[in-house]
Amino acid sequence: MAGTILEAKGLSKSFDGMLAVDDVSFTIQRQEIFGLLGPNGAGKTTTIRMLATVLDADGGDVEIGGHSARRSSGQVRALIGLCPQELALYEELSALDNLVFFGRMAGLGSQEARVRAEENLQLVGLQDRAKGAVAKFSGGMKRRVNLAIALMGRPALLFLDEPTVGIDPQSRNHIFETILRLRDEGMSVLYTTHYMEEANRLCDRIAIIDNGRIIAIGTPVELKTELGDPAQVTLEEVFLHLTGRSLRD
Amino acid sequence: MFRPLHIALLETKRFLLDRGDLAFSLALPVVLFALMYGTFGGGESFNGTAHFVDLDGGPAAKLLVESLSDIDGIDVEMHSLEDADQGLDRSSFLSVAVIPEGFSEALDDGEQTSLTFRQRGSGGNESQIINGIIRAITQEMAGEAQVYSVVREVIGESSLPASQVNQAVFTSLAEAHQSPSVVVRSIDVGGASAEVLHRLLPGILVMFLLFAVSLGSQALVEERRIGTLERLLTTRLSLNQLFAGRFLAGVSRAMVQAVVLLGLAFVVLQVGGASVFVQTLIFCVLVAAAVSAVSLLIGTLARSRDQATWSAVFFTMFMTVFGGTFFEVGNTGALAFLSKFTINKYAIDALEGLVSGAEGLSTQGPEAAIIAGVAVASLLFARLAFRTGVGGR
Repeated sequence: MAGTILEAKGLSKSFDGMLAVDDVSFTIQRQEIFGLLGPNGAGKTTTIRMLATVLDADGGDVEIGGHSARRSSGQVRALIGLCPQELALYEELSALDNLVFFGRMAGLGSQEARVRAEENLQLVGLQDRAKGAVAKFSGGMKRRVNLAIALMGRPALLFLDEPTVGIDPQSRNHIFETILRLRDEGMSVLYTTHYMEEANRLCDRIAIIDNGRIIAIGTPVELKTELGDPAQVTLEEVFLHLTGRSLRD
Repeated sequence: MFRPLHIALLETKRFLLDRGDLAFSLALPVVLFALMYGTFGGGESFNGTAHFVDLDGGPAAKLLVESLSDIDGIDVEMHSLEDADQGLDRSSFLSVAVIPEGFSEALDDGEQTSLTFRQRGSGGNESQIINGIIRAITQEMAGEAQVYSVVREVIGESSLPASQVNQAVFTSLAEAHQSPSVVVRSIDVGGASAEVLHRLLPGILVMFLLFAVSLGSQALVEERRIGTLERLLTTRLSLNQLFAGRFLAGVSRAMVQAVVLLGLAFVVLQVGGASVFVQTLIFCVLVAAAVSAVSLLIGTLARSRDQATWSAVFFTMFMTVFGGTFFEVGNTGALAFLSKFTINKYAIDALEGLVSGAEGLSTQGPEAAIIAGVAVASLLFARLAFRTGVGGR
């Protein structure tokens, strides 16, 4: 299973003349959890949107599973799953209906989509609430449905854009365990978060992005070593050292 | 291939699960229909109450009261003279017919008698109609009494018994009632109510179809905001399939209301037969397609839900007001000119012909072509500008 699942090469994107992503390059290995950390507005979400083929890059390209996102977006989409920062759900519908619908859109047949939806709901601990309207779910439950939808196409590469925002420790822990289990089963993950302890716990490698550029990349230990004894230094200290202490947004 | 249909089905399901949208979409047509039924669906054209004071108590007085109460839609209430005056003072009713003492005897003798209407002011429309009916019945009774009297006078010297003379006159009058020498006929040529209904129903129908512009454009902006559109693009769904799905969803959303309103109108008001219903429904699908395309265009161009809402409201108001939805716009003048830029004018023109049964789908070519043109042009512009997120595809 070794090898590269994603290779981003010189990605750049501007909005109204403002450079949001500037010459970003990195790779993600198979069965790797890769963290993309950065302050607000650093370019994390724009980078993920380009990797997930919903946004065209102004420059550069990304290859996923050997397919160019620019030239073969259809083949790339067959390999990816996106769990966006927003709760991109149909709240009037049940969790099961949401999953089945996105499963059909991912190319599954009716029966296959239903079986996969039930499996995924079990994976995120919501099998007992399958037929409940999502609108009545707690924030943590909605986050878990959001994740379960991203898994409907059994992606080789999963993009998780701040999947634990605003949820309780129990739900967060459940999501961590799910991600680790998926990695162990062979999935690769690109993970963005503002929580440094999450990145430290989950990620095999981390890239720190600021002002649209990647300013550091390595394993958590490698990044911490640059600042001192990795047993004494925290990832948050590394992050603040690299991105500064001035307020963002 | 079927993915756009899945999107349309999902959107319809969401629409039907949203109680607010559902109430707006289904309750409003039902309420409007009830108003239409109240206006055009009733069996009787007049209802009223005749108030009497009978100081006579004789057979002619009883016959007058019974004749009136036999008429559909008219109730009779009897009062004493004192109660009647109090009722008039309190305006409980506005007119009372007072049958005087000796009324029956005078009629029987062929002598002149009187009937008095005591009323407040003009007595109001209801009383004027009822008093007119009482006058007509009284005059008929007086005419018949006159006949009895004249006949009795003419043959009074003969040896014929009075009962036999009365029987002969009674039989003769009964035959005259059965076969009157002047027959008054009413010919139903559709009537004013039918004309108004055939004008009003297409207007209401098109107005409801136009409501989908607001719902559709808002839904598109909302989905772009919460990220579901963008998320769909990370599946195997192409942008064209997503666009087609949204278009079909708009058509189905618009048709929900149209089917409810049209179904009620055809079943309860019996506007027309099955063929008229089907042809009307088919034309509604065309209008719904144009409406869905416009909602996609507005939803695509709008940057916020408020922008979408106000744009849709302006569009709907312009179409409804200047499209002759509830009144004739004529053929000349500024209103007629503006109406040419509305979907309503062409849709209502065509639907009027279809609903009344005077025309079929085959004669709606020009109107259908214009509405289809609006749909195609809106779809093209919407597709060119269609985006799933900020700066997205």
